[in-house]
Amino acid sequence: MKTLSRGSIRAAIKALRTHKGRSFLTMLGVIIGVSSVITIASIGQGIKDQVSGQINHVGKDLITVRPGQQAVTSVGDLKLFSSFQTNGTLSNRDLSTVQKTHGVGKAVPLGIVGGTARGERGTYSAGPVLATTDEFANVINQGMQYGTFFMNNDDTEGVVLGAHAAAAMFNELVPLGQTFNFRGQDFVVRGVLNDFGSAPLSTDVDFNNAIFIPYAASQLLTNNATSTYEILAKPAVASQADAVVSNIHASLLKLHGDDHDFTVLKQADNLAATTRVLDLLTQLVTGAAAISLLVGGIGIMNIMLVSVTERMHEIGIRKAVGATNRQILSEFMSEAIVLSCTGVVIGVIVSLIVNLLLRLFTSLTPVVVWPAIIVAAVVSIAIGVLFGSAPALKAARKDPIAALRSE
Amino acid sequence: MPIIELKDVSKLYGFGDATTLALDEVSLSIEAGEFVAIMGPSGCGKSTLMNVIGLLDRPTHGEFYLDGKKVSRLRPNQAAKIRRDTVGFIFQSFNLLPKLTALENVALPLLYKNMSTTKRLKMASSMLERVGMQPREYYLPSQLSGGQIQSVAIARALVNNPKLIIADEPTGNLDSAGSLLVMELLSEIHKMGNTILFVTHNPELTRYATRVVYMHDGMIVQDEQTAIGQVAKTARRIMRRPQMTEENDLAGVSALMKALPAKDDVATAESKKSRRKTVVRKKGKRR
Repeated sequence: MKTLSRGSIRAAIKALRTHKGRSFLTMLGVIIGVSSVITIASIGQGIKDQVSGQINHVGKDLITVRPGQQAVTSVGDLKLFSSFQTNGTLSNRDLSTVQKTHGVGKAVPLGIVGGTARGERGTYSAGPVLATTDEFANVINQGMQYGTFFMNNDDTEGVVLGAHAAAAMFNELVPLGQTFNFRGQDFVVRGVLNDFGSAPLSTDVDFNNAIFIPYAASQLLTNNATSTYEILAKPAVASQADAVVSNIHASLLKLHGDDHDFTVLKQADNLAATTRVLDLLTQLVTGAAAISLLVGGIGIMNIMLVSVTERMHEIGIRKAVGATNRQILSEFMSEAIVLSCTGVVIGVIVSLIVNLLLRLFTSLTPVVVWPAIIVAAVVSIAIGVLFGSAPALKAARKDPIAALRSE
Repeated sequence: MPIIELKDVSKLYGFGDATTLALDEVSLSIEAGEFVAIMGPSGCGKSTLMNVIGLLDRPTHGEFYLDGKKVSRLRPNQAAKIRRDTVGFIFQSFNLLPKLTALENVALPLLYKNMSTTKRLKMASSMLERVGMQPREYYLPSQLSGGQIQSVAIARALVNNPKLIIADEPTGNLDSAGSLLVMELLSEIHKMGNTILFVTHNPELTRYATRVVYMHDGMIVQDEQTAIGQVAKTARRIMRRPQMTEENDLAGVSALMKALPAKDDVATAESKKSRRKTVVRKKGKRR
């Protein structure tokens, strides 16, 4: 519209300034809509980045073997690896089979041992006691904060703590050499793992709160009946992960007598599934927030209608001195555009501030998603123009005499 | 060539039984440079006539030529453009935008010519100088007296250099000092060669006019030339008949009717009145 000149924008700003409070309240709808869309998209992206960051950290080629047939739930074309039939465990023979499978570099078991640990600060029950072997830290690429992972598997007294568990159990910052009692046996802390980094929505066991005891020790405690819930394997050559997955699958199938009661998965598959779930969630919530953009547009229309009615006399005067319908239209359209553009700018700023606050005060790490900002901005400006045009048309088409007569 | 030429212009409002005839086949021809006063009782159609001539309103029937161009059937946007370039309006209630300064108000018509802001304000300022309001150009209307506000409104009407000025009771809301100021201004503008139409209830103000048109019930009942500086003849008779009797009031006889000069003039008006009814019926059918 060529009549949308700089002058009419300036006039619109002036007109809106005379009703500062009302203009702000009108924009509030747009501000809330834009900032919530952007914030939610950012949080979603942040969670996705955290999850994939963690999976990339342990290595996309990491292979997990779990007991039970994985149940695949379908929602449309979306497959969720949601529920595992986790009855049944993996055995020692499974472990050694995996270890011997062609292409497997390292393989470690993860078992859960029941019972509570009694440390310096009393009973510790915030995390599980996991049984594994000395290769565990290597397999999942995790570094040590202090000390070492079990020096060898014969040392059935040495344990390693997750970072949070170490802080919760002992008063000392570096609890190396401290002892605690678990199921009647004393254990000595040999190392503390690095923080694993939080991974919201992850279904994995929380390693930060876990106590790691040697697999051999757990076998002693449980009379060789440690329930292994997972075997982690690393292929010798990372690029052959897919081949190794099928190798493991084949050899386990043979061992189990063609009974498919286990699942072999690559981390990359986990990542794909998690990403799809997160994407869907983010889209759903963003869609809900996008409705508030619409509400913001309706707010603009509402106030513009009031404004047109209030300024009917003014419209009459302007028409009497020669304003065409189009010029009146552009004056009111300018106001709608100024309202929605200002709302968008403030909304973006608010969302950036909210992002910053979330990063500072929560464990979320929202990531600014520029496409989301652009889409939210364009959509809300378009909605503002769309909804502003109805009142503006009403103003433009008003009969000059009727407009002059109204007071 | 007359600047205003109305041929049998009628204006109807409403539908069916509620139809009112605001203008009843009015024919009027005004030459450039005339200073025309329009008088008549309330509701006689003066304002409607002003609105039609000023292109704020469209006649229902009849033809209207403004400055030689047929304008009786214009679309709103075309009318707006001619209004902007040819007509300047002065209203009884001033109709300045209260949030704009005197200067911005005067510059308003130029805004719709897409003129640059600097040029607009310059022209507005010189126009305010012409009406003696330049020292107050940054005042808001609320900070000015009635006469001053109307002076600003006159400057606004003049800023586009229009051929025709239409003033609908420009002194209606003013005290005597303000009225004098405004009428002197209009008379000065007239001397510069502008055509001015103004509506008034005050017979004294016909002093300024060169011609007085009297209206009653949507018709022109008397049209007389008059010398500047003298109250027009019929207007003088209205002045001398200030008291309306109750019977006259009930009978619908106005001071104007009594003041009209000759019986036969009134008779033609009466005959027109009876004809009007058939006109209304005819138009009613068409709806």
